[in-house]
Amino acid sequence: MAPVERTDEQVVRDVLAGDRDSYRLLVRRYGDVLHGHALRMAGSPDEAAELVQRAFVQGFKKLHTCREPGRVGAWLFRILANLCKDHVRSLRRSDVPLAAVARALPSDADPASDAAAAEIRTRVWSALDALTPEQREAFVLKHVEGRSYEEIAAVTDLSVASLKMRVHRAREALRGLLEEYA
Amino acid sequence: MSNDLHGHHDERARPEPPDPMEGERADAWERMAAAFRAAAPRGSAPPWLEQRVMAEIETLPERSRLQRALGWLSRPAVVRISPLTAGLAIAAVAALLLVPTRPTPPPATNGGEPAAANGTGSVVYVQFVLEAPTATSVAVAGDFSDWQPAFTLTDPDGDGVWTGRIPVQPGVHGYMFLIDETRWETDPRAERYQDDGFGNRNAVLAVGASS
Repeated sequence: MAPVERTDEQVVRDVLAGDRDSYRLLVRRYGDVLHGHALRMAGSPDEAAELVQRAFVQGFKKLHTCREPGRVGAWLFRILANLCKDHVRSLRRSDVPLAAVARALPSDADPASDAAAAEIRTRVWSALDALTPEQREAFVLKHVEGRSYEEIAAVTDLSVASLKMRVHRAREALRGLLEEYA
Repeated sequence: MSNDLHGHHDERARPEPPDPMEGERADAWERMAAAFRAAAPRGSAPPWLEQRVMAEIETLPERSRLQRALGWLSRPAVVRISPLTAGLAIAAVAALLLVPTRPTPPPATNGGEPAAANGTGSVVYVQFVLEAPTATSVAVAGDFSDWQPAFTLTDPDGDGVWTGRIPVQPGVHGYMFLIDETRWETDPRAERYQDDGFGNRNAVLAVGASS
């Protein structure tokens, strides 16, 4: 009989009981999705990985404060999201290397990318540098990662109305920068 | 959200229709949003991530049995109460407030939990609590401070739970937390909220007069 996979709630309980090795299951389950968000928010792939590592370690240290162990993934995401915003805030605007990220990484949507397409991607993505960390987070979660407002509200502790306003402001800022798309 | 997070493991965005906009404007926006989705960097977590996280965790001191036991006792938990039970509880509290006994503990609420509050003259000390693991400072501002973040919370044990007892005049007050002197957050554990007229919502604190 195949072994039954432990739920997040069981894993959290085991880790808190002293079985810290079980924590690696959470790293496996949520590593990719956390890394994807960090990559789109924070900068280079190296910085994204460092932020995710910090989020997981911080999550381990604070695990006993996780109010809903069954939703530990969302809780970890929230820690990461705050780290990403702090990271972006700590950078001077000109230091944010998102353009370099867009240039360096392939896009699933455009596997046969040529230089012109890469240039467009770079220009489009680097426009996000003009947003505040909060606007960038809301925009990335909503329009790049495709989450619902309700999901984003759970991560950011903002009301849906506030989020819509934040996304709207981000759109307006981006629209001016990318007139050929608007 | 864990299921939702699993749903994003393939890193593909699920395009949703934009907010209602009219004709050409909506089309233009959808083209722009699609451009961002196409331009978004993608990538899996590096294979060494798990190893590095676990190696760093190994260096952390182990929590003692006592800490674990205390952690279990003090761990925040979501308590779901049926409307009937909540109604009975409210009625019971209201009945207690109407009975003239001395001393009367001041009725105050914060974050959906009975607040530790002591009456002193005409002010009541209210316990504020916010879970903010990544914050470096947390302050409270509200009607009771003319919205100046004059009161700071502390996290002496570094567990990410910030607390502070703050003198508040009896009455109904809106308030918010200010994190790292830059980020306003609504108390996620408040029992009531009100629109602040600027697209945000304030938590609402009801403080009864001490006798």
